[in-house]
Amino acid sequence: MTEDLTPSPARPERSKHRRGPIAIIVLLLTAVAAVLFVTLGDATLVFYEVDEVVEQREELIDKRFRVVGTPLPGIVETTVGRESAVLFTFCAQGVYVDVVHVGDPAELFQPGVPVVLQGEWVSESLPEFQSLPNATRDGWYLSTDHMVVKHDNDYRTDPDRITDIESCGLKE
Amino acid sequence: MSAGKMLKQNQGVTSSPKSRLLGFATLLGLVTLFVFAFFLTDPDVRLHPTTGEEIGQFDAVRLLYLHVPMAIIGPYLAPLVGAVASIGYLIKRTPWWDVTAHAAIEVGAIFCGLVLVQGSIWGRPVWNTWWEWGDVRIMTTLILFLMLLGYLALRRVVADEHKQARRSAIVALVAAINLPIINRSVEWWESRTLHQKSTLSELKIEDLTFFTLMMGIVVFLMLFTWLVLHRFRLGWLEKESLKQEALTAIEERRAVAVTNEEETS
Repeated sequence: MTEDLTPSPARPERSKHRRGPIAIIVLLLTAVAAVLFVTLGDATLVFYEVDEVVEQREELIDKRFRVVGTPLPGIVETTVGRESAVLFTFCAQGVYVDVVHVGDPAELFQPGVPVVLQGEWVSESLPEFQSLPNATRDGWYLSTDHMVVKHDNDYRTDPDRITDIESCGLKE
Repeated sequence: MSAGKMLKQNQGVTSSPKSRLLGFATLLGLVTLFVFAFFLTDPDVRLHPTTGEEIGQFDAVRLLYLHVPMAIIGPYLAPLVGAVASIGYLIKRTPWWDVTAHAAIEVGAIFCGLVLVQGSIWGRPVWNTWWEWGDVRIMTTLILFLMLLGYLALRRVVADEHKQARRSAIVALVAAINLPIINRSVEWWESRTLHQKSTLSELKIEDLTFFTLMMGIVVFLMLFTWLVLHRFRLGWLEKESLKQEALTAIEERRAVAVTNEEETS
């Protein structure tokens, strides 16, 4: 009589070979959840526009937020306490805000190049703003400590063709 | 010619005369691209129309000649090929589609990881940050990268060949849902996100800069094709080898059984 040579079904594998990839999958799912939690859960990650932070000033008092806009010419370098700082006026869609940014500004920070600032509203008039040509001097300023540059997507060299740099008070 | 016959002809080697030619052309293209990107093109410097000051990315722009092509492949083309091949597998249930999906996604995961790392290196001088949790494109690309790694981990879980291929195909399709979100994120969240909008779709690029970027895209497409081709052939050889091992084991058991039978009779 011939022996049954049909390969027997594989025994269910519950060894380390199976546990490793499953642990990796669980770890990756946890990482995805963590990314979503950090991204969606932190309100300071939302970018406001300048007109929004002015409109919602009362609601935003004592809250940290991010705001995107364009620095105008007339940046003043100074110190706050022992730290270096820059004072400037920042705008978007014709709405202006005075800013005191503590710490080193971004390497590419300059008038006409949009930036995203992180900080909070302060109700105070600073005499230093008198020297800024476009300052609002409305008794409020933004105190910020984190700055990133929002670079545009234009790589053409001809200055006549630069049309979409948000420049508010600056003519394009 | 079937993939199996092709590999038999090549005696288990993953290269062929045509793939060697493609590999050589890709290598030549990469060297040329590096020369154009890092030596022949100018840094990104423009004069602001009003302030007259120099603005731009300066030398950091050179990284974009590599970043954009990698970004077209890692977070778009490779997962798209993987998703199409996965649909092919779910309809046809043949290993060719499964091996193709696996090859594309494995190469795509490498490109996706490189895009995140290289984008971070570019972001430091240009954006003033290594990493930006609030940027929708970075976050959606990171989620895609983790899902591609999940796909690859799932393929290592010991299971029945068809069950494994079916599960993997479903994960590839779920990952592909992210692709249009990554692509449109800079439009949908234009004023809420840091990433710049597409330069190519608005053609805000010209002359040698444009030429170098297009060359980068062509060269990286060649590299992707070459890598996927070889990964596909390797995957096919692995499948053939497993099949061969199983057949050899059955033959050996049969031979032992026949010998035992002869001895007892």
